[in-house]
Amino acid sequence: MEIEVQLTGSPIAEKVSPPRLAVHGAWLEFRGAVRDEEKGEKISGLEYEAYPEMAVREIRRILELLAIKHDCLAARVIHRVGIIPVGEAAIYVGIASRHRAEGIVLLGEFMNQLKQGVPIWKRRTLPLGARPASGGGQRTGRPTLKSLDEALAEIQSHCQPLPAVCAPLAEAFGRVLRETVCAPEDFPSVDRSTRDGYAIRADDASETYSVVDTLHAVDWKPRHLKPGEAVRVATGASLPCENLRVVMQENVERTGDQIRIIRHASATNISFRGEDLRAGGPLLHTGTKLDAGALAILATVGHVNPLVSPRFRVLHFTTGDEIVPPDQTPKPGQIRDSNSILIRGLLQNFPCDVEQAHLPEDFEKAKAECGMRKAEIRNADMILVSGGASVGEKDFTRPLLESLGFGIVFSQINLRPGRPLIFGVNGGASGPASRLVSSLAPPNKIQVAFGLPGNPLSHFVCFHFAVAAALAHLIGGEAPKYLRGKLAEKLDDQPCPRETLWPAKLEIGPDGVARLHPLAWANSGNVACLASANALVRVPANIGPLEQFAAVDFLPTNC
Amino acid sequence: MLVLFFAQLKDVTGCDAVEFAPPSPLNREQLWTMLLEKFPGLRDHRRNIRLTCNWEYAEANAQFTNTDEVALIPPVSGG
Repeated sequence: MEIEVQLTGSPIAEKVSPPRLAVHGAWLEFRGAVRDEEKGEKISGLEYEAYPEMAVREIRRILELLAIKHDCLAARVIHRVGIIPVGEAAIYVGIASRHRAEGIVLLGEFMNQLKQGVPIWKRRTLPLGARPASGGGQRTGRPTLKSLDEALAEIQSHCQPLPAVCAPLAEAFGRVLRETVCAPEDFPSVDRSTRDGYAIRADDASETYSVVDTLHAVDWKPRHLKPGEAVRVATGASLPCENLRVVMQENVERTGDQIRIIRHASATNISFRGEDLRAGGPLLHTGTKLDAGALAILATVGHVNPLVSPRFRVLHFTTGDEIVPPDQTPKPGQIRDSNSILIRGLLQNFPCDVEQAHLPEDFEKAKAECGMRKAEIRNADMILVSGGASVGEKDFTRPLLESLGFGIVFSQINLRPGRPLIFGVNGGASGPASRLVSSLAPPNKIQVAFGLPGNPLSHFVCFHFAVAAALAHLIGGEAPKYLRGKLAEKLDDQPCPRETLWPAKLEIGPDGVARLHPLAWANSGNVACLASANALVRVPANIGPLEQFAAVDFLPTNC
Repeated sequence: MLVLFFAQLKDVTGCDAVEFAPPSPLNREQLWTMLLEKFPGLRDHRRNIRLTCNWEYAEANAQFTNTDEVALIPPVSGG
């Protein structure tokens, strides 16, 4: 049986088309609408909540089992969630079968089983007079989790650029330029020959010329040329004056000190003064990340100690008694520590010094360990804590950061994977830490901290979307940008109330369009997809599945 | 291990998810012990709660591990 299941936060369409099957005798439709009373009380609407990943699977499983008993051709189920006003459909079921009888039985049994086992709830009623919001998204009445964009805005507002420093070019790679550098003079500073040949006056149409001098690349011998005079020049040689042209040596016949032009060409073969850069013109703007090319330009103009972002210090703590070093064989219940090398590798793209340490799982012991590392903690610009990021018994990241003086900005976001992401700030005008005696940070210094959910996939996602953005702001650069691409294959996932950053393999197609191949993962514990992921596709909340060739936003992760 | 709460259980626990890191796989009873220690209010609801593991109702002898997504499902009322 062909099965299509959808959870939606929007009203169910008035008309749902049956599946395009060649043969079906019966197309049966059922709509369950919200009644105007609940438990004897008049109401204006109901709020539905679902466990979306499971609800979709469970509906599909029920239909597959029923199809064994009742031979039907296709089923389409749409369940609406969020606030649904009275009279509007909460559920739509369409069944295609050869004859009506089996379709009717299957529909009846399906509805009975749905009401027993599919994780969807009438969360609360809206009393009469309450005005249901149109569109009706998922509302729970709890403080809403920060969205991806809200989390990024918080990160940006708390991560001010660290004070700039002067650094020699050899140490400036990867840092962000914190000044705009202008050309101190024209480049080239004089007209230069781009060929081996003979410089003559541009207005000179003589038949033959006397060679009056020879200039190599290092020579600087200004002189005026008279009509009929030529100067032998090498590629790169500074020309003796302006208003010349260079005749390629291949186009000249030379006899002693005389030349005759045997082929005429219009090219001047000169790189003119200021052609590359004009004196005073901006070469590199503030905020530029210094790559090899940018450093070469700085070297060209002699700007050898540019003002750049400082190398910053990251202190990374792993937590959890269950992790063992990667070179050890885990006992049952243990896992190898992959987060240390993952974080170290991801930080390679940033000019920073990384210290890594492990914290014992016991909160008091962990605090004691931090007490021994006061200097490292004090010196760090950023503290990362792997694991222990949610509110389980042993998850102490939040209280630990608080004990170090950090104010927690957020501790959960509406994202999968990576929901229990913690972000804290220590010091600065906005942080509460400046008032706390226990703060280890020096006065006027701002530190930021992230508590990263323990699973490597969550680490990967949270690093790229949140930590990398924080680092970019701290060094005064640009935060990673989402780009536009197309799905190379269907992203076969049901609508999720959380926004998703879906691991994908990015390729540039022959048409120059970014194509994204979604990688398989089922939960944040999955790591296999990390082997080939180089992008994260942004799937909005309550949307799915996404068809092949759908336009999507993505974040490249290999830069 | 991510543990999710739905519907009225969110009101009981005050959150919709917690993460635990049990050192070894848990059976049903051990999982409940861990949950009740953290959220004693769940005790009154326990007999009406079904456990799921990775989006399927958990078998009686299920083992819940560190990388599982577990959910507590109170009586459903969809449709």
